[in-house]
Amino acid sequence: MVSGSLLFQSLILGLLLGGLYALLAAGLTLYFGIMRVVMLAHSAFIILAAYIAWWFSTATGLDPMLSLLATVPAFFAIGYLMQRFLLSRLRPATMTMMSVLLTFAIALIIEGLLGMVFSGTQRRINLPYGASSIELLTARIPVVQVISFALAGVSLLALFAVLKYTRFGRALRATIQHPQAAQLVGIDTNRTAGFGFGLGLATAAVGGAALSLQATIYPSLHWHWIGPLMAIIVVGGLGSIPGAAIAALLLGVLRVMLELPLGPTWAQTIFYLALFATLMVRPQGFFGGRLAQRF
Amino acid sequence: MLSVSDRRQAGAGDGERPGRAGLASRVGLAGPAARGGRPARAGRDRRRDLLVIAVVVAVLSLWPFVAPNPYMLSAGVIVLNYAVFATGWNLMGGFTGYISLGHTAFFGLGAYGTALLVVNTGMPSFVALVVAAIGTLVVAIPVGFAALRVRGASFVIVTIALVLVLQLVFQSWHTVTGGSNGLVVPRPFPDLLRPEHHRAFYFIFLGLLALALVLWALVNHSRFGAGLKAVREDEDKAESLGIPTATLKLVAFTLSALVVALAGGLYGLWFGDLDPIFQFDVVLSAQIVLMALLGGTRFLFGPLLGAVVIGVALEYFVLNYGQTQLHLVATGLLLAIVVLFLPDGVLTGAQQLVGRFRPQATSIRELSAEQLRDEQTATAAGGPPVTATGGPPATSAAEPTARHAAPAAPTDEQEGPR
Repeated sequence: MVSGSLLFQSLILGLLLGGLYALLAAGLTLYFGIMRVVMLAHSAFIILAAYIAWWFSTATGLDPMLSLLATVPAFFAIGYLMQRFLLSRLRPATMTMMSVLLTFAIALIIEGLLGMVFSGTQRRINLPYGASSIELLTARIPVVQVISFALAGVSLLALFAVLKYTRFGRALRATIQHPQAAQLVGIDTNRTAGFGFGLGLATAAVGGAALSLQATIYPSLHWHWIGPLMAIIVVGGLGSIPGAAIAALLLGVLRVMLELPLGPTWAQTIFYLALFATLMVRPQGFFGGRLAQRF
Repeated sequence: MLSVSDRRQAGAGDGERPGRAGLASRVGLAGPAARGGRPARAGRDRRRDLLVIAVVVAVLSLWPFVAPNPYMLSAGVIVLNYAVFATGWNLMGGFTGYISLGHTAFFGLGAYGTALLVVNTGMPSFVALVVAAIGTLVVAIPVGFAALRVRGASFVIVTIALVLVLQLVFQSWHTVTGGSNGLVVPRPFPDLLRPEHHRAFYFIFLGLLALALVLWALVNHSRFGAGLKAVREDEDKAESLGIPTATLKLVAFTLSALVVALAGGLYGLWFGDLDPIFQFDVVLSAQIVLMALLGGTRFLFGPLLGAVVIGVALEYFVLNYGQTQLHLVATGLLLAIVVLFLPDGVLTGAQQLVGRFRPQATSIRELSAEQLRDEQTATAAGGPPVTATGGPPATSAAEPTARHAAPAAPTDEQEGPR
């Protein structure tokens, strides 16, 4: 029988993992909200950022977190350019389907290039605090998990603040809600969408750095992330950031809890079960807003 | 004379401009005589397609006799396998426009089902193949039901998830599938030497390809196929016209799963060794979609053409850069280029090129007074009496059903600026 303290520990670990999922899924819902794009390359960019953090850390001996100073602006720029020069070229009628294929192609290119540059060898960052942990009541929480959760929390709050309180955030929300109406009131929706994309990709940079702290990375790792992230945004309701956050926390906790009786591989299937169950019961997702109803 | 030839041109061009082509074909349908000739035309098109399939299959069957070595023969088997897969995929993707990245799941289920049946029950190989394919079809029904409840993005997500979850399950379930150690499939022809083995399977795959092509052609010229195409062009309108879109989509999905499962089972019997990583591979799905798109999803031979081009390229990459990840980059770049610049496929471009040199394919297609007069004489001679005196509105008004009048009148203006 599983002890109470073990359950408590799993709950904490699940929440910490869920926080990271929430950050990454928020990026996906941003893309979907803005352009109806299912960005399959999101997790490939996460792995790319993780590789950059690893490479930076091994080359300079500094903390991998410092690589964020370079990757966040760079990823923002890449996202902007991707939206303006690739995705916006697709025909509106077939936008959703073709964007899936296009971003899939980008994911393959990133995976292939990572494999060619860094080889398929598994990499891991050696951190001075890599093995240390914090005692919280009866649970032992690895420091790296706390750091990645804090990073995710700060980024999510920043994302929320930008969307809620800045002029750009209002423009972005207007673009998401109704592009034509946004254009009527003088918003340059193309530029806004580009910046929104950049913002989404910047979250991938943060997520990648957080991932590099705690995971062994290899080029094809992004496949392990695509499924869970996609499941989260479908369960949460496509296009809804709060929905994605709730679904991320819930599924993160469930996954870690299920690891106790089932082991890590079988526990992973909870995402797919949730995905199929959602489609059977409520195709528009469980926590989604109005946008989700339409898809 | 705006009749069969023009209508066929309009029909064939429905790929790139659904709206206009729809109007054009309605103009074509304006004459009662022409409408009467429609089933005959479908029958003729079907016969033509079957004839072309026979010719293509006959040409492909020459490969084992000219292949310089057994390796090239085995490459031919792989390309045929891709071709069956892509043609099967196109039963869903081409007609409905639903891009599934999950058909590898059915490929893998067919392969594993066949292998497990042969290993565990001692069933004859080809009986096992059929049983496994039918089993896959049964699995595809609930999956399709779940996946087809949503459109666009969610549909693609579900199909990817299907492959990923099956990969996970087949990898973890060591006791049954052998996990990543692989599952060895007993050969159906144990006494054949390797080259003869390839040769035998080349012809079996070719037979399956012929079946898949015939199936696609039959669906293409059927009422069922018309319903599926209506889903592709505008699902909501199709639904409001009373087309049972949900059922049609599900039937197309399961049919396509059946063909793909047969390809998978046959692949398992030929290759003899299965590994979840390769059987349930989303990259393979993407390659198949790439093949279909490259050739053109609206064409009978589009996926076959794409399979030959991409299949040969992939073999070349594996042969020369097998150890590197270059094949991923190449697949990715090709996919991006096709999606950005050639979303309708090579065959559409070729068709447009040919169409440019055809006398009847003018850039502006509208009814001239002369054509109208010709048409009226034709209808007056053959069909029911026509009271028209000339001019487009009058022709429309002469139509027994008023429904055609509305779209026919604005046609000229809409077609004008083309």
